Amino acid sequence: MGFIRSSIRRKTMAIALGTTLVALLVNGIALIAYEVTAFREAHMADLRTQAAIIGRATAAAIAFSDRTTAMKDLLMLSAREDIIAAAVYDSKGNLFAEYVRGGGEKLPPRAGPPGHHFQGDQVSLMYPVVEEGETTASVYLRGRTGLQERLHGYLLILGGVFALALGVAWAFSAWLQSTITGPIQHVAAAAREVVERRDYSVRARKTSDDEIGVLADGLNRMLADLEREIRERTEAEDALKVADRRKDEFLATLAHELRNPLAPIRNSLYLMKLTEADPQASAKARAVIERQVNQMVRLVDDLLDVSRITTGKLALRRERADLLDIVRSALEAVAPQAAARQLEVRSYLPSPGTPVNVDATRLSQVFTNLLSNAVKFSNVAGRIDFRVALEGDNLVASVADTGIGVAPETLARLFEIFTQADHSLERTVGGLGVGLWLSRRLVELHGGTLEGASEGLGKGAAFTVRIPGVALAREARPAAGATPGARPANASRKILIIDDNADFANTFAQLLRSMGEDAQVEYDGGSGLSAARLMRPEIVFLDIGMPGMNGYDVARQLRAAPETANCRLVAVTGWGQPRDRALASEAGFDEHMVKPLDLDRVRAILARVQAA
Amino acid sequence: MLTRLALCFGFLLLPLQALAQAQEHELKAAYLYRFLTFIEWPAQPRAEGAITIGVMGADDVLAELQEILPGRAIQGRPIAARRVREGDSLAGLQMVFIGRAAPAATGKLPGVPGLVVVSDADGALDRGATVAFVRTEGRVRFQVSLEAAERQGVRISSRMLSVAEQVRGRRL
Repeated sequence: MGFIRSSIRRKTMAIALGTTLVALLVNGIALIAYEVTAFREAHMADLRTQAAIIGRATAAAIAFSDRTTAMKDLLMLSAREDIIAAAVYDSKGNLFAEYVRGGGEKLPPRAGPPGHHFQGDQVSLMYPVVEEGETTASVYLRGRTGLQERLHGYLLILGGVFALALGVAWAFSAWLQSTITGPIQHVAAAAREVVERRDYSVRARKTSDDEIGVLADGLNRMLADLEREIRERTEAEDALKVADRRKDEFLATLAHELRNPLAPIRNSLYLMKLTEADPQASAKARAVIERQVNQMVRLVDDLLDVSRITTGKLALRRERADLLDIVRSALEAVAPQAAARQLEVRSYLPSPGTPVNVDATRLSQVFTNLLSNAVKFSNVAGRIDFRVALEGDNLVASVADTGIGVAPETLARLFEIFTQADHSLERTVGGLGVGLWLSRRLVELHGGTLEGASEGLGKGAAFTVRIPGVALAREARPAAGATPGARPANASRKILIIDDNADFANTFAQLLRSMGEDAQVEYDGGSGLSAARLMRPEIVFLDIGMPGMNGYDVARQLRAAPETANCRLVAVTGWGQPRDRALASEAGFDEHMVKPLDLDRVRAILARVQAA
Repeated sequence: MLTRLALCFGFLLLPLQALAQAQEHELKAAYLYRFLTFIEWPAQPRAEGAITIGVMGADDVLAELQEILPGRAIQGRPIAARRVREGDSLAGLQMVFIGRAAPAATGKLPGVPGLVVVSDADGALDRGATVAFVRTEGRVRFQVSLEAAERQGVRISSRMLSVAEQVRGRRL
């Protein structure tokens, strides 16, 4: 268990040293076993030779029973220090003569069977002397083998070899470790660091091209993926947080901006009630209401456009238009506010009848937005330069003011949606923070760019629109006959308004009547149809969303009835999506208007009926 | 009573004497046989047939020899012993034992080449014997005359000489 848990470094060391140790042990044991055997055999051969010599030397003495001579012969052995005892036996096996070195040694009283016997460090040999086929004598020798001293020597040498080999093995395995466990430890250290510090930017060092290198590469790639994914997730979370914060801010701003105009409107209404007799005061109050309502309409329109753009449903309707008309409508839109703040607006405009291929409404919206911003952020009695020109085929328009300017760090964020440079409660200007974003998108839909520039706070700002390839050839084509503002002079038209919103229907009817038209009101589809049959209106303003019978059904029946088959049907609805327009056209509507109604468009519709 | 005792003792003593007697002739027979193993006959390098020991005037030794020799051999040659009388030819014998009781023992001993003459008569060496049995300190021992050996043309092993009681004519 301990071994399994220990580090690879220890394991490889243990393997190297263990293997070496086992090899050395086996080797050593084999060597010692061989040496002991060889030594014993050599010793036995020597001892046998000695016994043979003794046997031969003492043969005569035994033959003639001469113990003295036999003793003398045995004394020869005193030269052999290893032999500690010797004896000769006669042919009958009786002890004949003996020799003992030192003393205290006991000798067998009779000759035993031939053979040798090792006992500890001693060996005894019984050697028969055979002459002419008969055992004439036996020699007994006992001696020290010296095997133990020899073994001691061997063990010493082996010990030295063990130590040396293990030392070399240790050094060798330590060197090998630097090539194997070193890289592994690098990888493991990197992995540990990642786990402990949760720092995915750590990378394992790749030091070799072997499997460990592959491991390091794999780990690094996984870490890189993980790091990127975590970073992306963090960024996405941050972006979501920012978006969420912006949304909250936007909702707060929206509530504020929508409620803001209501106060002056309500005040004006009170004022009108109280000062019914004073036409001057009423006129002022109406002007306030009109301005505030316009402001609210613009706010809601902007919001709807934002929604369309973000859902990808806003499509440009590019057509031939006069650049000057577009510019003028924008200038007119901001003129009252500019005048209120005593701003000097210098316009450098294109010549009349400059044809361009743009969505006139949208481009006008862009210019209005830029001008409106310039007005809002200008100091009282400041100056606005508005330049619009064609450079070759390209439209270049710029709005420069001398207002509060933009800090360089804020400039880039200006075009983000729901962004407002001033988040303080004390800010002086209103707005939803969608204007510039919306303008840039609209310009980009035209294939152009909208850039902002400022030399810093207090130094004013300039916004430049560039739309390439919009110029069209000048044609001798008369301006459109139905110019907005061309007021129909005579003859009242029979107009039917069908809308369940009584306030809207009544005020609209009153408005039409004040313009000299003959307007009648019905509040549901059924009574609208019967009224239409009687009245035979030239124009029907028809609400779509009504209880009982909806506008589409009413329109189909109106188209089906001979009395109203040819009248002009105008859908009046809060729904302005292209799908709604398509449905309306399918049901037989000629026009589609979105509430609140733009008086100019109403006039244009009226004029068209007159033309017909 | 005394006679009975003496008789008893006599009975007791007799076997002992017989034993001592038997030991001596037995020893001499055994020695004769063993001498053969220490003696070479260079003049008969490739002799074949039995090695024969002649015995003169010592029937007990002859009997003993005839008892121990059968089955024994020296360098593949069987060994035999036979009686030899005065005047018999000594040719074909490798060794002759002339007992003390033989008439030849007192005279000059025969000098046939290749024949080893062994005798237990007193002064045998002086009279030409190669090997002579003597009794010293109660033991049977032998003396060797190298002169006689040389004269007869036989070679005696130094190992045998080393246990001889006396060696005559040893060269220094």
